Amino acid sequence: MEFFSLIGEILNLNQWMVLLMFVTFILMLFKGVPVAFALVGVGLLFAMIGELVLDPNSKILSQFIDFDRTRISYIKLFAISGRFFGGVVKNPVLVALPMFIFMGLMLDQSGVAQRMMRSMQALFGSLRGGLALSVMLIGIILAASTGVIGASVVLLGVMGIPTMMDQNYSKEIATGTIAASGTLGILIPPSIMLVIMSDQLAISLGDLFMGALFPGLILGALYIIFIIIYGIINPKAMPLPKNLEPVSMKVVGEVALSVIPPMMLILLVLGSIFFGLATPTEASGLGALGATFLALISKNLNLKVFKDVMRQTLNTSGYIVGIFIAASFFAFILRRYGGDEIIENLISGSSDNPYVVIGFILLLIFLLGFLLDWIEITLIIMPLMLPVVLNLNIPVEGFGVVDNPSVVWFAILVAVTLQTSFLTPPVGFALFYLKGVCPPEITLAHIYRGVIPFVLVQIVGLGIVFYFPELTTWLPAIAYGN
Amino acid sequence: MPDRTLDVIEVAAKSIEISDPSDRNRDQHLWGDRLVLGLGNIVAWVFPLLMVAIVTQVIIRKFGHNQAWLDDAQWWLYGFAMLTAFAYAITTESHVRVDILHQGYSPLRKARIEIFSLGWLLLPFMGIMVDVMMHYGWSSWVAGEGSDSANGLHRLYLLKLSLPILFFVGVIAGWTAMVRHLSKITEVKFWKLLIGAFPFAFFVCERVFYYSSWWLVHLTQPEINERRISREPFLQDSTLYGAILLAIVFIISYMVARRSPTTVKSSTKGKA
Repeated sequence: MEFFSLIGEILNLNQWMVLLMFVTFILMLFKGVPVAFALVGVGLLFAMIGELVLDPNSKILSQFIDFDRTRISYIKLFAISGRFFGGVVKNPVLVALPMFIFMGLMLDQSGVAQRMMRSMQALFGSLRGGLALSVMLIGIILAASTGVIGASVVLLGVMGIPTMMDQNYSKEIATGTIAASGTLGILIPPSIMLVIMSDQLAISLGDLFMGALFPGLILGALYIIFIIIYGIINPKAMPLPKNLEPVSMKVVGEVALSVIPPMMLILLVLGSIFFGLATPTEASGLGALGATFLALISKNLNLKVFKDVMRQTLNTSGYIVGIFIAASFFAFILRRYGGDEIIENLISGSSDNPYVVIGFILLLIFLLGFLLDWIEITLIIMPLMLPVVLNLNIPVEGFGVVDNPSVVWFAILVAVTLQTSFLTPPVGFALFYLKGVCPPEITLAHIYRGVIPFVLVQIVGLGIVFYFPELTTWLPAIAYGN
Repeated sequence: MPDRTLDVIEVAAKSIEISDPSDRNRDQHLWGDRLVLGLGNIVAWVFPLLMVAIVTQVIIRKFGHNQAWLDDAQWWLYGFAMLTAFAYAITTESHVRVDILHQGYSPLRKARIEIFSLGWLLLPFMGIMVDVMMHYGWSSWVAGEGSDSANGLHRLYLLKLSLPILFFVGVIAGWTAMVRHLSKITEVKFWKLLIGAFPFAFFVCERVFYYSSWWLVHLTQPEINERRISREPFLQDSTLYGAILLAIVFIISYMVARRSPTTVKSSTKGKA
């Protein structure tokens, strides 16, 4: 009991328990326990501690340390059934999730990326850094298809690395380009990360898609500017191919032919949302059908591929929904300990300046991005941050159309931050995915050196979005204005 | 060398060929794995169906026929598929983990972590979810719950009743995966599995005791109000009796295993 009054001087018992919950969770993570299992396990453990140990002894404990009873009981757990049904099953917005996964997988199978690569290389071949630009453009166009960073980095890496090495590109610029353009996919709509964010932050998915478009394109443009300037300063890093084919109309035509199908798909998905023809969920269904159609006309689709695509869709949806269920259970128990208020007070008490608070949250998310994928971060951390951001009352112009414009702006900032985090050495996710598909002569050191300039570009991009919040709310306001 | 470059791209195109997730480690699969994967592979057809439902909805709405039941059907299909997907990903071992340290561990240590995370963390939760969702589905069935909209999909209780079943499929997936990992460490015996999934086994025993006594009271003394049965003294102490039941089961399975080492079917042994 002496012990309790001693630790009670630092934090109250609820705060200690919340801290312990997170520490236990992180310890399990490092041991390699799957994230979803660790979340439910920690939730159950602390539910039992609350019900069996702390609550029955609360009278004695409260003589030594401040403690609010958790009031957890087995009967109270029945409340999660309705929460689970409403949050995971009866959730029309999340229907978009498997559809976009299906669309991305199908688009990978359609071979449009390979065709774009082939034709663009012929077109940009005579331009210094043309190959890097091709990869970058394909990354931006395909970003629409792949929300899973691993998938787009691997796809671009498998296609881009051998060709770039063949043309004697420096290893740094080759890997940097691919890692950076591959991660753009989680930002540029329709990304599945935005689908989950809109659910967790209770904002319109249409707003979020439209809001992410400009920041995504700005980042893409910054990348392209960087590559062109780098090519001028350091031509040796991006040599021209030895025997150039002259650029003919035929080549231009081929590029057009290869770019049109994926562009049509993007137009179908984003256009139908922008012009109000379909909700984002419906657009996901249209996109899935469109991608199936593209795979069909490229003659890559047979029954085996079709089955594999839907089974992979099931598998990917499965691990996302696993964290979904687990995180909501974890949050349920956390709330019983008053954890949501404790974290809210902690974060909003970090500074009086709302922009500093936002910066603090972004720094936290940046660091978490080293350890966790976006799925866990959006599902565990975002719901805790929502009340903080709402209470900051940051004036972001919503043009009278966008609901909770500051939350839309915040979501985009988090998206860019996460993307930066995945790129940042030494433990960015994208770097390891890329290393996995690189030939052995490319080392992690090459990749680290290669991405550093892109990380700097990311920070510039983040700064632009931070200082001009209208970039994220203007387009949704136009789209939903009338 | 553009020609050679093209070859490189062709090779690259082949190397990103898609694979069947249910094919992973197929040689190690037990009957539970095959059941979950088989179900998942059928349910996977929901996604093309969902795609067609969405597109149909968009088209017929353009012609002014709004079908509320199609709206409902979309999240019905989605919800059903998502829960199946949860179990499917357990069997294919796709649930995401942080593998900074994990990838360097020995196979033995990996198997131990897997057994711990399945038996001590996941399975108790899944057991609780089966229990919780069973009550949820049951009360929906009793109330004859329908759709929110007049011409939506009624019989919502069908979907809600399917949820505990799908969580139970998840229990099968988790249990079988645990058996598979245990077989990498030692010869699989039922009593070892009871230790490997101790919290889960305890929970199941407690629930088995609780429900069987509840029904016993209900059937033998119908005059007692259903709500009052749970206040009967021996139901109040169901945790204790559950522990006793678990101990009995454990001792019996231990004795059986010691007496006849061949009772455990050789098919449960992994080939790894």
